[in-house]
Amino acid sequence: MIEIKNLNGALGEFQLHDVNLSVRKGEYLAILGPTGAGKTVLVEYVAGIFKPDKGSIMVDGEDITSLYPEERNIGYVPQDYALFPNLTVEKNIAYGLEARRMPSEQVNAVVSEMISQLKIEYIRHRMPLNLSGGEKQRVALGRALATKPRLLLLDEPLSALDENLRTEMARELRRLQRDVNGTFIHVCHNFEEASDVADMIAIMNEGSIVQTGTLKQVMDAPKNEFLARFVKSQNIFSGIANGSGLKIGETALVKKNICEGDVIVAIRPESIKISGENNQKGENLFSGTVENSLLKPYFSEVVVDIGIPLIIYTMKGETFNRGDKVNVRIPPEKIVVIEKL
Amino acid sequence: MSGNGQRRKVFNSFFYSFAGFLFLYSAYLFLSNIDQLFVTEAAIKTREVTDIWGEDREVLNQFAGGFWKDVYFWKSLNLTLAITLITTFIATILGIPTAYALSRYRIPGKSVVEILFSSLIVMPGSVIGICLIVMFNYGPLWEMQNWLGFKFAHSIFPGMVIASLVLSFAFGMSAWKATFDSVNPRFEQVARSLGSSRWRAFRTTTLPLAKSGIVAGIILAWTRAMAEFSAVLFFCGTFRELPASRFSDFTKLLQMDQADWVSVAVWAQVEFGNIEYGFALAFVLVFIGGISVYVMHRIGAKGYVW
Repeated sequence: MIEIKNLNGALGEFQLHDVNLSVRKGEYLAILGPTGAGKTVLVEYVAGIFKPDKGSIMVDGEDITSLYPEERNIGYVPQDYALFPNLTVEKNIAYGLEARRMPSEQVNAVVSEMISQLKIEYIRHRMPLNLSGGEKQRVALGRALATKPRLLLLDEPLSALDENLRTEMARELRRLQRDVNGTFIHVCHNFEEASDVADMIAIMNEGSIVQTGTLKQVMDAPKNEFLARFVKSQNIFSGIANGSGLKIGETALVKKNICEGDVIVAIRPESIKISGENNQKGENLFSGTVENSLLKPYFSEVVVDIGIPLIIYTMKGETFNRGDKVNVRIPPEKIVVIEKL
Repeated sequence: MSGNGQRRKVFNSFFYSFAGFLFLYSAYLFLSNIDQLFVTEAAIKTREVTDIWGEDREVLNQFAGGFWKDVYFWKSLNLTLAITLITTFIATILGIPTAYALSRYRIPGKSVVEILFSSLIVMPGSVIGICLIVMFNYGPLWEMQNWLGFKFAHSIFPGMVIASLVLSFAFGMSAWKATFDSVNPRFEQVARSLGSSRWRAFRTTTLPLAKSGIVAGIILAWTRAMAEFSAVLFFCGTFRELPASRFSDFTKLLQMDQADWVSVAVWAQVEFGNIEYGFALAFVLVFIGGISVYVMHRIGAKGYVW
């Protein structure tokens, strides 16, 4: 169990303001946020590379805020992996064990186990300079996991890999985390990457954590406009609420039990139902014209004008053409209403 | 495209022929005068107009038949090598940690310190010599010398060490800092997260990666100390003309009495009219410097030392 309380600090241009975060044992947490949000600073504070100005970091009930990195037993994989270029793959993985003065037979046993778990027997005696991105990644993971850390910090571990390898490595990370039953904190700036690996996500912006929760919680109920944009709600409008309905421009939507006044309305593109025939039932039914239709690898993106332009994702094989008349239903429970401050 | 290639060809041929000309011309000048290293008694006797100060300067004619036969030369070389080794040792002991700290830590006023050290590099030795004289002959450092009972200025030790240390330290430190800057600080951070102490992390990651730069810096500090001229001349002066009674028994035992810093000796000999002797000493310095630079390049080219 990791608990970060009211962490404050500044490193160069990056600042953290009152960061509160807790990660349960065996949980995979992704910290997400745009560039400059302070994610790396947070990781460096947890790793002990820098000391925060205020606040505390507790691991399993122990306050580690003032401990040196070597006293924390927290694994750290930086973005560039920082494999020791003067040591072979094997020696890199053995590094932490040797630092702990483990007898050499034991070191060899742990290293061999790690190497077979990561499937990197074939590069065992190579130097890091001659490894590919994915191989480096595995070695860095092996080096960090060999010492059985109570927490593993991964700073943008997949960003140096190409697209195909990224998905594969994400799956691999997930598998490793389950195998070792480890607690992982994974920093990334990409929503898809987080959804590939994490149980829980925490979204950071401008040095603060703005929302935490499961992927579904954050996607279904973003707390503010920034989050709605960050989780790619796509349909984000300014509107006026009157307690039981919404007005976006001239378009009226039904949504019960909401506040009154100026609001931000966010509707996820995949929650809007679209049909070419007039067969939908329920509230918030609209007819509109298809303005644009794009066939993406796994879904179609259709832009429909119902007075407001709606972006809709549909998985059905149905194809729509520009100018088609369609029916659209927006389920009221899928509409997110955010009060304007 | 072809115009560009043509231009580069013209530039290259001009550059190489100019460099070649300079090299051949210097080689010619050097080789054509090499006989002066083996000056004979007869050659000295042809230049008898030595009576500059209106008195008989015996000293001028002591040198004849080759500089290596002169005790002054060996004593001077001995003095210079010994002092530069001490200087290099001090510069290394002080410079490597300083360079490491400047490269790694966020120290308040770091840029001021860096500017101070960098400005030393562009400072003429004479300016440094004058500064040292002012620094050590007034104020608290003067009081300290009174209390200690000996003067730093115009002394072999620690005067020559101090004078040669300033630039040696500045040059060495800039080399070491550049070396540490080039080693990713993440290596040490990761090493520590894996359980290494600060020292072990440095010893197992940064040190092996920086060792060729560190050694090159040590050689640079040593050659720079050896090449120091004006700071030593200003702060310490020359010792050859001083009576033997001015030197301690210990200095005599170390064979450093009535000897000069070699680069100062070059100037002194030329000033006394012994052009040949000055030239011979200069040749020795060129020889030592050349070997040092060669070693430094070998280290740089190989990227490792041991």
